[in-house]
Amino acid sequence: MAAISSAHWRRLWPRQSETFMKRLLPFIIILAVLGVALCSAWYLTRSIPASTTVVGSQSAPSPSSGSQPRGSQPPATLPVANAGAPGAEPAHVLGPATAPARLEEFGDFECPPCGAFHPILEEMHKEFGDRLQITFREFPLVPAHQHALAAASAAEAAGMQGKFWEMHDLLYERQKIWKTEFDVRPIFEGYAKEIGIDVERYKRDVSSDAVALRIQKDGSRGHSMGVKGTPTVFLNGREVPFESLPPEQLRVIIQREIESKK
Amino acid sequence: MYAAAAVLALLGLVDAIYLTIEHVTGQSVRCTIVAGCSEVLSSSYAVVAGIPLAMIGAAAYFSVFSLATLAAFGYRVAGTLLTPLIVAMFLVSLWLIYLQAFVIRAFCQFCLLSAAITLLLFVVVLMARRIKSV
Repeated sequence: MAAISSAHWRRLWPRQSETFMKRLLPFIIILAVLGVALCSAWYLTRSIPASTTVVGSQSAPSPSSGSQPRGSQPPATLPVANAGAPGAEPAHVLGPATAPARLEEFGDFECPPCGAFHPILEEMHKEFGDRLQITFREFPLVPAHQHALAAASAAEAAGMQGKFWEMHDLLYERQKIWKTEFDVRPIFEGYAKEIGIDVERYKRDVSSDAVALRIQKDGSRGHSMGVKGTPTVFLNGREVPFESLPPEQLRVIIQREIESKK
Repeated sequence: MYAAAAVLALLGLVDAIYLTIEHVTGQSVRCTIVAGCSEVLSSSYAVVAGIPLAMIGAAAYFSVFSLATLAAFGYRVAGTLLTPLIVAMFLVSLWLIYLQAFVIRAFCQFCLLSAAITLLLFVVVLMARRIKSV
């Protein structure tokens, strides 16, 4: 009886095993996909900060590490950028040329992150005073932004009358108002009137070759320095990673540059 | 049909993981010459109760993948649960397309890809139901 039973089970076992495996297989597949998805997400989020930090720089050392999770710490050093082609001269500059920290921003007035960066830069300007020099370079993202070129021209035309920064501030502060409009010319002319410049001269300058050339030169400088998006910020010739632009990180980086020049 | 839904859900999962990483790391927030700005991922609509919408999408795609795989292996309950889930995802996708077109006024390529995958999933489920009813 026992022998019959054993033979019976031996005959049944492969089929039962097959059925069992078939029932288990979808769960194995699901768990495998879950494992792969979680591992790849973990790996990718970890690997991104490493690629955006140190690229052989002689900048001042810092206790912070490049392998820290993104968003929590500024990079230990900044990637080296080439000197680049000359931009428009004279450049739009705030702060003295002798400042130990020289920040150069390539911006687009229609770009929302640039608009968000504007108050941060104002904060840095107030905080560091003469220790920080800020240069603005035009980098309108054409054709991604329909009014970017018009806004850059408006700022440059205001600059022809010595009011670049006043127009720069208004364009950023009211970005949400004008960026969705069909025709921005009358809006910008209104801004020109508001900042107290000669509107008739502004109207001539805004479409002049001189203004177009300035924008083109700034753009050429940006391209030569590897700028591909906005805002792109260089500090003493080294690119500050985009994720290090929040004020708490930018402050540390600027402070470090100032201390390294002492 | 369920196998096709599982494959589509897998594609959706990859897309949603990519979007989640973009969102969490802030990689796509800068405006670029080629792709313009990632205004969609940086908008207030990209987060629901502090959780990135892309992460919720990844969870939804994983659920669809799991249910479709189980259904393909003969688990009938999974097939029954799959339909309302995909219909819900389809409706959410329509809402997100509306937000991109009329509220944010900007499109995100990988968000549109996700919407396209959900639309295909919806079609697959409809076809599966039709075949079943014939």
